[in-house]
Amino acid sequence: MTDTTLDNTIPAPRTSSFPLKKAAALGALLLALLAAPIAIGDQFVAHIFITIFIFAGLSTAWNIVGGYAGQLSLGHAIFYGIGAYAGVMLMNIGISPWLGMFAGAAVSVVVAVAISYPCFRLRGPFFSLATIAFLEVFRVLALHFRELTGGATGLMIPLKFGWEWMVFRDRTPALLIAFGMLVLALAVAWWIRSHRLGFYLVATRERQSAAQAAGVNTVKVRLIAVSASAALTAFIGTFHAMYLTFIEPAAMFSLTMSIQIAMFALIGGLGTVVGPLVGALFLVPLSELARGWLGAQALGLHGFVYGVVLVLVVLFMPNGVIGILGRYFGSAVPERGTQSASVTAAPRAAERPPIGNDILVAEHLDKHFAGLHVTNDVSFSLKEGEVLGLIGPNGAGKTTVFNMLSGFLKPDSGSVRVRAEDGSWRAPLTPGDFAAIGVGRTFQVVQPFAAMTVEENIMVGAFHRHSDVNDAREAARETAFRMGLAPWLHAEAKGLTIGGLKRLEVARVMAMKPRILLLDEVMAGINQTDVRRAIDLMLFIRDSGVSIIAIEHVMQAVMSLSDRVVVLNSGQIIAEGKPQNVVRDPQVIEAYLGKEFTHAQA
Amino acid sequence: MDTFLQVLASGLMLGALFAIVSIGLTLIFGIVKVVNFAHGEFLMIGMYLVYLITAKLGLHPLVTVVAVAPLLFLVGVATQRLIIQPLMSARDDHIQIFATVGLSTALINLALLIFGADIANTPPGGLRMPIQIGPARVLLGQVIILLASAALVIGLQLFLQRTQTGRAIRAVAQNRAAAQLMGINVNRIYMLAFGIGAACVGFAAAMVAPLYPTSPTIGTYFVLTAFVVVVLGGLGSIGGAFAGAMIIGLIDSFAGFYIGSDLREVAVFGVFLLILILKPSGLFSERLNLSHVSP
Amino acid sequence: MNLSYLLKTTVAAIVLSATAAHADVKFGALYPFSGQLALLGEESARGLEIAVDEINAAGGIQGEKVVLVRGDAVDNNQAIGEARRLISLEQVAAIFGTYSSARSIAASQVAELSDIPYFELGAVADEVTGRGLKYLFRTNPYAADMGKMIVDMVADKIAPGIGKKPEELKIGIIYEDSSYGTSVSTHQANYAKEKGLNVVVSSGYPAATVDMSSLVLELKQAGVDVVLQTSYQNDSVLFLQQANEAGYKPAAVIGGGGGYSMQPTADAVGHDVIDGVLDVDFTQYLVNTKATPGLEAFIEAYKAKYGSAPRSGHSLNNYVGAKAILKAIGKTEGFEPDTIVEAVKVMDIPDGATAAGYGIKFGENNQNERAAMMGMQWQGGKLVTVYPDAAATAPMQFAD
Repeated sequence: MTDTTLDNTIPAPRTSSFPLKKAAALGALLLALLAAPIAIGDQFVAHIFITIFIFAGLSTAWNIVGGYAGQLSLGHAIFYGIGAYAGVMLMNIGISPWLGMFAGAAVSVVVAVAISYPCFRLRGPFFSLATIAFLEVFRVLALHFRELTGGATGLMIPLKFGWEWMVFRDRTPALLIAFGMLVLALAVAWWIRSHRLGFYLVATRERQSAAQAAGVNTVKVRLIAVSASAALTAFIGTFHAMYLTFIEPAAMFSLTMSIQIAMFALIGGLGTVVGPLVGALFLVPLSELARGWLGAQALGLHGFVYGVVLVLVVLFMPNGVIGILGRYFGSAVPERGTQSASVTAAPRAAERPPIGNDILVAEHLDKHFAGLHVTNDVSFSLKEGEVLGLIGPNGAGKTTVFNMLSGFLKPDSGSVRVRAEDGSWRAPLTPGDFAAIGVGRTFQVVQPFAAMTVEENIMVGAFHRHSDVNDAREAARETAFRMGLAPWLHAEAKGLTIGGLKRLEVARVMAMKPRILLLDEVMAGINQTDVRRAIDLMLFIRDSGVSIIAIEHVMQAVMSLSDRVVVLNSGQIIAEGKPQNVVRDPQVIEAYLGKEFTHAQA
Repeated sequence: MDTFLQVLASGLMLGALFAIVSIGLTLIFGIVKVVNFAHGEFLMIGMYLVYLITAKLGLHPLVTVVAVAPLLFLVGVATQRLIIQPLMSARDDHIQIFATVGLSTALINLALLIFGADIANTPPGGLRMPIQIGPARVLLGQVIILLASAALVIGLQLFLQRTQTGRAIRAVAQNRAAAQLMGINVNRIYMLAFGIGAACVGFAAAMVAPLYPTSPTIGTYFVLTAFVVVVLGGLGSIGGAFAGAMIIGLIDSFAGFYIGSDLREVAVFGVFLLILILKPSGLFSERLNLSHVSP
Repeated sequence: MNLSYLLKTTVAAIVLSATAAHADVKFGALYPFSGQLALLGEESARGLEIAVDEINAAGGIQGEKVVLVRGDAVDNNQAIGEARRLISLEQVAAIFGTYSSARSIAASQVAELSDIPYFELGAVADEVTGRGLKYLFRTNPYAADMGKMIVDMVADKIAPGIGKKPEELKIGIIYEDSSYGTSVSTHQANYAKEKGLNVVVSSGYPAATVDMSSLVLELKQAGVDVVLQTSYQNDSVLFLQQANEAGYKPAAVIGGGGGYSMQPTADAVGHDVIDGVLDVDFTQYLVNTKATPGLEAFIEAYKAKYGSAPRSGHSLNNYVGAKAILKAIGKTEGFEPDTIVEAVKVMDIPDGATAAGYGIKFGENNQNERAAMMGMQWQGGKLVTVYPDAAATAPMQFAD
């Protein structure tokens, strides 16, 4: 095999997505941040650093939701406020804030889940608007229920000093606690980012449906993220309340603060572990200095400059400070290879397993879209080890059938049943159910997780079988090798050609080790050489014991691959049988092949 | 009963005020798909312009619309061209939100710098004259706002349905890529839509300024309510925004009278959240479902 | 850019400048100089600056020149930070401030922890002095004084003025729902109850509003004779306009400071509409100067220094408080915190001896128990003092 040379180009395994060198640099930075104010030993400098730690911590916590999961919450002050109020209210009845912070975190988690669950259906700006609305409601309610919250005049803590009350005359203990909170937030953020949860979150952010198809419970992972974020935010809220010694609704449930928290992450680098820290480190001193220089000049000048700087930063540094640093230090430069020329041919298994009994049965599938009958009483079955071709002209309802076979659409009537590994029949409903029972699918329009590398893309699929990152990485490498994607493991997915993306799509689903594979036009738009290679690939997959349903327009592939073909036209099955017989069926020729056949032959 | 009718009338007048401010926003939000947090500040700029023109030239505030609406159109076009358009291709739309937040902060503080924190008063020009309609009492200026917002809705609908440009705008709103393939200059349409949206706010400013004191932060009073109205009405639906504004005006008014003035925000935002969660496409829009998953 | 380097150089620069001015004694001036509260924060600080100028012109205190160091308390966290900076970097002997109650509460906790005296000259919330702090003193009248004076005015002046018994009047209390409005309105309600007045409406609303018509309707429905509003500027204008337009004409409207004391409010509402509206606030400028000795000199000094007339009574009250405190410190030896506390505790200035009219003597919780506000009325587009009688420049007028 000429391709063996490529095997050596697989990069040395990286044991973690967050290498040792970076960890050491971060550790050194953190230690310096702690050492500087202690060395200077001045109260005001300590205050500045405490402020940096608090905002960096809040922003790091926010980033778990806003960055990793891509849910741009502008209501995070809710959790900060809950933490603060819980801490102060409990302290006023003699309970230490060290306990109060857990009470605040618990309430925050409940609130976070309660408000996020219904809001996850909302995309982009609508989620942000909903979180703003929740924040306003919380603020007004905190003002209204005076007996509980003290209303607008706020609450004060009794000035009891010492570690048990989190209130100190000296600044060093407060500095240490703020630092500890930041380190905790960073540790949680790092842990999530480097484990399965983080991959799932980013995958969900990038392509929700592809993540679902890869077996990700997109709601659950985001709820976990929101809970972790809310709890961390509440912890910091409790501490900050003790540090301020005085809280009021306007300051605790503040939209301005929520925006600020998000902004630090954005300016530092959205979705990166250290981005929020860098953002806070950059902006807190800057705004302090700007206030000092400009604040006294004229009313509003400082705010004007601040606003203009924000716009400019967004315009010219959309990837944040980290993005700029990354550019200079040359990390994550996508490797560009000659992708189509150097594809590994998949090795053929010696023997094809025999075709067995039914493994998937679709019965009487009916689906309407706004009066349009998209599928009408569609029934067919797939046998174990079989390749079933699903063909038909554009708009025949093929992709709709696929969506029903994988849980993305619920049929108006009819059912899909799948035989599980233990031989029992199940009727899965959600994409998660289908993935769990071993149904994998690709999408007609490729759905790569654009911000992830090829390896990470495939890992999202591999996590379905492996919960450990290193195992998943290993499995992903193996799959990538088999799919001929090995040379681009560390390239960003968005840098691939269309042929590469199609292979990536298949690789991701193959890494899930499915028993049934639904392939939606994996050969559309790729060149002749690739088509041949793709056919080999499918045969290899079939021979490894996977049952396949393939929607395909490329007749060459349909004819040579399919054991059986189902022809769909205007939402109805008009023919079914061996490919050679089906293409001779006059009904099929009339409905479909008339124009498509010649096209396919060309 | 009379009280009920008065609350009803006040609610409708308040609704008209929200409508005239929100119509521009629904255009921008619906077509360019940008959450423009600086929308309230556009209104603020418009109101200061109305104030300056009436105070310096002694014109009637309603006359200023011929100057203020075109000026705001330019503000809108410039915002789209200089701030939003460069971010259109950004990986996620989060970034635009922060750009408009920055713009909003800058504009508020610029006004503070130029005009100070004190309120500016546009001469009312007779618009504050009360009118008795049955048992209810409203202001002439409020009735004009109601009529003007209705006229604006009809005018914009005609423009979008009947003219070539209007159809191009709708095409871009529905499917940007397809419109581009059909040879429509999408960037130009976006600038136009943003400009028209901002011009609507300029139009509104001429009617709002004589009735409400102008201050640098006046926009922040309106912006969240305007978003509520737009989402309630259905994204990009101009008639929906009008109806949504009326509903919010009535809720605000009735909640203020029957529940308590300090909780009216809870009522308004509560309804907003319910609509968002239960029917995210808005009450009056069928064609766009925001929660739709397209596999 | 290396942050710690930057901070170190800043520290070094400040330490150097501090050594150069060794013979001076430093005091902090902590006000919101930027952000939403900047306008009146700055106005308040000007009063303090004029007081310091006068003290320095007369030879300083204890022979040393007084130097003010500004701190910008734009939000609560910032107030704490600036208080720390003033105390640890600038080594001020005491801090003056703060205009905003929330900033004052936050910053004075820091001063208390560092045993540095904190003199509040302008914030009105109860909680400023209600915490039993040792080093915090307040010279200005506060929410309770305001609420009490308003209710006194209703019972003693308005009821007889419109020919009714106090308990026959229906009182409506409306207030913006932040700290300011809430605390004043609570005192209004409590004193009204004590005096046996009949409060029929008590309603809060957010200051950031564009419509108060439902509130106006509520008052009208309840047949309220006397409206007490505690508000900022925007909501003052809205209420007066919308009440007028709804044809609601209560026998009296009494504003609590904020928007009601400002000329732009009168211009916005219209001089004919606001005519007769009452207001209780810090001492303003159209007042009988026999009761406020030194007021004219203050106005002259203000005009000379800032080129315009004072924009509100905040500067005057800060001036009065600061000058008295600095004089008291001048009578003692040294700037140790406890020395300063001792010096101000024995202060005893009678009523009618300051430019604001009220005397200064610290009572319980270190609140100036002689502090009082004044009652004013808009007459012919001007805010004239009408209550108490000693300070009045015109009699209180009543609608027919």
